[in-house]
Amino acid sequence: MVWARVLSAYAAVLLVALTINFALPRIAPGDPLSYLLPEDVLAEMTPEAEARVLAEFGLDAPWPEQFWRYAVGVVRGDLGTSVRFGEPVWDVVLSRLPWTLLLMGWALAVSAVLGTVLGILAARFRGQKTDIITTVAVLFLGSAPVFWVAMLLITVFSARLGWLPSFGAAPLTAFPGSAAYYWGVAEHLVMPVTALAIAQTAGVWLTARWAMSVALGRDYVTFARAKGAPERRVFFVHAFRNACLPIYTNVMIGIGGLLGGALVVETVFSYPGIGSLILEGVQARDYNLLQGVFLVATLSVVLANLVADLSYPLLDPRARR
Amino acid sequence: MRLRTPILALSLLGMTVSTVSSQSLAPGESGNQVPPARFLSAVDNQGPEEAERLTLGMWVSAGNVTTYAIGNSWNDWVLWLVYEKLREPSPYVGRAEDWLATSIEQVSDDARVWEITLREGIRWHDGTPFTAEDVAFTFEYYREGPANRWTHHASSVPRMVGIEVLDEYTVRLTSENPMPNFDRITAADLPIIQRAQWEGVEDPRSFTDIGIGTGPYRLVEYEADRFYRFEANEDYWRGAPVVQHLDLVMIRDPQTMFTALQTGEIDGAARPVPPELVLEWLDEPDLEMVSSPTLWGAWLDINVGRPPFDDREVRRAVTLAVDTEPMLDRIMLGQGQPGTHAWPHVDSFWTSPDLHAPYNPDEARTILDERGFVDADGDGFRDWPDGSPLVWDLRIASNQPLFLRAAEMIEEQLAIVGLRVAIDTVDPATLSALWRTRDFDLRIADITPHGIADQDMLIILYRGDASREIVEDAEKAEIVNRWLEAETREERLAISYELQEYQTRYPNRVMLWYPDTVFAYRWEAYDNYVPSAGYGIFHKYSFLPDEARDGIVDPMLSN
Repeated sequence: MVWARVLSAYAAVLLVALTINFALPRIAPGDPLSYLLPEDVLAEMTPEAEARVLAEFGLDAPWPEQFWRYAVGVVRGDLGTSVRFGEPVWDVVLSRLPWTLLLMGWALAVSAVLGTVLGILAARFRGQKTDIITTVAVLFLGSAPVFWVAMLLITVFSARLGWLPSFGAAPLTAFPGSAAYYWGVAEHLVMPVTALAIAQTAGVWLTARWAMSVALGRDYVTFARAKGAPERRVFFVHAFRNACLPIYTNVMIGIGGLLGGALVVETVFSYPGIGSLILEGVQARDYNLLQGVFLVATLSVVLANLVADLSYPLLDPRARR
Repeated sequence: MRLRTPILALSLLGMTVSTVSSQSLAPGESGNQVPPARFLSAVDNQGPEEAERLTLGMWVSAGNVTTYAIGNSWNDWVLWLVYEKLREPSPYVGRAEDWLATSIEQVSDDARVWEITLREGIRWHDGTPFTAEDVAFTFEYYREGPANRWTHHASSVPRMVGIEVLDEYTVRLTSENPMPNFDRITAADLPIIQRAQWEGVEDPRSFTDIGIGTGPYRLVEYEADRFYRFEANEDYWRGAPVVQHLDLVMIRDPQTMFTALQTGEIDGAARPVPPELVLEWLDEPDLEMVSSPTLWGAWLDINVGRPPFDDREVRRAVTLAVDTEPMLDRIMLGQGQPGTHAWPHVDSFWTSPDLHAPYNPDEARTILDERGFVDADGDGFRDWPDGSPLVWDLRIASNQPLFLRAAEMIEEQLAIVGLRVAIDTVDPATLSALWRTRDFDLRIADITPHGIADQDMLIILYRGDASREIVEDAEKAEIVNRWLEAETREERLAISYELQEYQTRYPNRVMLWYPDTVFAYRWEAYDNYVPSAGYGIFHKYSFLPDEARDGIVDPMLSN
C-alpha cells in the first residue's frame, strides 16, 4: 500500500514534468524556423512554405495536437525527429547518454567520497586548524562558478603544463576498444570530472560536517563513550551511521544539480553529453530534442529520488515504520 | 605559408586596398576587388606543403554536410569540400572560372535563356558519371522542394520557368525575369546535387545519409556536433588533394578552441582569432596568422516596420548620428574597416565606389526637430511628437561581447543628438527570431558574404522587408522593379548602384564595421594554406594541388 502510494505520487510528478517539458521550450521566444533558415530565405517564405518545413518535424500542428502526439510518443518510445540533427530524438539522446553517465557517475562518486571524508574530518576536528582550512578551501572552491573552474583547469593543465587534452571525450585517431582509446577516454575525463566534482563537493561536505557534528553531540554517542566503547567504534558506528542519511539524501539530490553543471562543463570542454545537447536544443529551439532531453533528465531525478526513498529503510531502520 | 607576392607592406595594415579602375572594365563590372590577404606573424616559417592528416577545429556544426544542414557562411566551406558548383569560386568576386561547366552562354537577348555545357568525365563519389540530368534535377529540386539557403537561385531571384536537358552534357534554363548575371552569381553559388541520391527525398532535413558530391573530399564518418572525417578523393578531376585526411572537430567555446590550437591538439582553428589575441600571437613561434578577406560585417538593424522608423527621414537621422570610426578603434582595436554605408560590403565586387554615409549629428538634430521629436519634459532626451517619452530598445545577443560594447557606444552617440536607447541582451536564438517577430526597435547582428556581397541578395532582402514589414516605399519599389527587368549586366549594375545610394541615404541597416578576419594555424603541421575571398584560409583550395587553386586571393602581403 505504501509502495503504491509512493509510485502513484511519482507518476503524478512525472505527468506534471512532462507537461512542463512540453510547454517550456514553446514559451521561450524564438522558433525552429529561425534556426533552420537564414533571414533572406525566411524573408520570402509564405506561411504555407513555413508550415511545410515545420511539418518535417511534426511542428506544424496546433499545440494540443502536438502535445497529444508527444504524450503518445513518450509511451511508444517515439520522441519525434530532432530539428538540430535531423535524426530521431531517441537516437541522438542515446548516443550522448553514455558520456554523461560516465561523467556524472565519476563526478558523483568523487564528490560523495571527498565531501564525506572532508566533512567527517572537519567535524572530528571542529574548531581546530584542520576544520578551518578545510572550510575555507571547500567553500571557496564550491562557490566558484563551474565555467571559471573549468577554464582555470584548461589554462593550467592543458595550456601551461600540456598534461591533459582540453576538449572532447575520446581521441579521434585511436581505434574504439583499443587500450589507447580507453586511456584517451580517461584522460579526457579528468578535467570535466574535476570541475564538476569541485562544484558538487561543497554541498556534500557541508551536510557531512553538520550531520557528524550533530551526531557526535547526541546522547547515544555520550552513552557509548561512557560505557567504554573505543573511539573509532563510537565515531564510525554510533555517529557516522546516524549521519549517513542526510549525506545520502544530499548526494542523491545532487544528481539534478550535476546535470545543470554538466551543461556548463560539457560546453566548455566540448564534451558530447546530454548537457551540451540541452544547449544545442535551446539554441535551435529544437522542441522535440528538448522534450526528449528534459524527459531523460526528469526520469533521472525522479528515479534517483525513488531509489533514495526506497533505500532509506536499508540505511535507517526507523524509516521502515 | 608561401607568400605569392611578398611585399614589405606594414604601412598597408588596416588600409582598404579596394581599387576602382575605370580602365579595361567590361560592361557591368564595378572594378571593385577584394583587398589582398596579409600574413601577420613576425616570422614566416617554411613548413610542409603536404600532410597525411590534419585536425581542424570548427565551431558551427555542419549537420550531415548537405545543403539542408548548412545554412550560413560560417561553415559553408565544409560543404564545398564535398559539393561543387558550375563555376567557382563564388559570387562575391568579379571573376568566375568554369568548374563543373565548360561554358555558360546567354542564348536570348533578354538574358532569360542560358545554356550550360558540362565538363565530361567527372564522377560522383559513388563512381557514377556526372551528367546534365543532375544539373537539371538540382534546379528542379530547389525550385519545387523545401527551401534552403540556396533555393532562391531557382525559386525566386531568379525563378526558373524552364529546365531542359538538351543532351547528356547540356542544359537549357529559362527564367521568369532576365538573369544577366546568371554566370556570375547563380552558377557560382549553387551546389549541384546528385539526382540518384536526392530523387524522392521529401524531408531533406531529416535525411541523414552521407552526401555524395563531386568534390575533392568524401565524408566518411561524422557525428554532428562532435567530429567529421573526410578522406581525399584520389580521383578528383582537378588532381588528388595534398592533404589525405581532414578531421574536423567541433569546439564551441572560443577559449577552448584557441587553447587547443596552442597545445597542438588541433592544427588549425577555423574561427577568426579575436582582436586582442591577434596582438598576443604575433610572435607565437608555433603559430602563423593570416588576415584574409571574408566579407563579413556587423550591422545595426533598424525595424522599419515600427514607428518612427517607417519614416525614412528618421532612419537617416539615426545614420547621421552614428560614428563608426571610433567603434573600429575601440572595439576591433583597429583591425578592420569602419562601416561606410548600408549595403553591400565595402569590398564586394558589386559595390558602388561612391557610397558614403556621413557622420553629421547637427543634421540629425535638424531632421529630428523637423519631425517633431523634441525634448518636451526637459530631461535632456527627445520625446515623441505627442510628448510621451521616446526610448528605443537596442537588442544584442548574449554571446557577443563585442556587440555589447558597440551597443554602449551607440547609446552614447545617440544620446548626443538627444535620443535614448535601452540595451537589452537576449539569447542568440531569441535574437535570430526577432527578424521574424519584428519585436525590436534596433538590434546588432552579424552579416556574412551571402547576405552582403551578392548583388541578388539586395533585392531578396528588400522584397523580404517589403512583404513582412508592410512598408510603403514607392521610390524603392520602382528601383527594384527596374532592376528585375534589366536585361544587361551594365543596366543591372547601374540600377544596383541607384539602389545602394538610396539605401545609404535612407537605410534600414547601418553598417558598423567590416572586421579583418584573422585565422591561425600550426605551420609545422601544414603550411600551404591560401586565402579565398569570402572563406578565409580554411576551404578546399588550401588542400588542392597548386594547379587547381583557381579561387584564391592574390597577392598576399607580408609584414
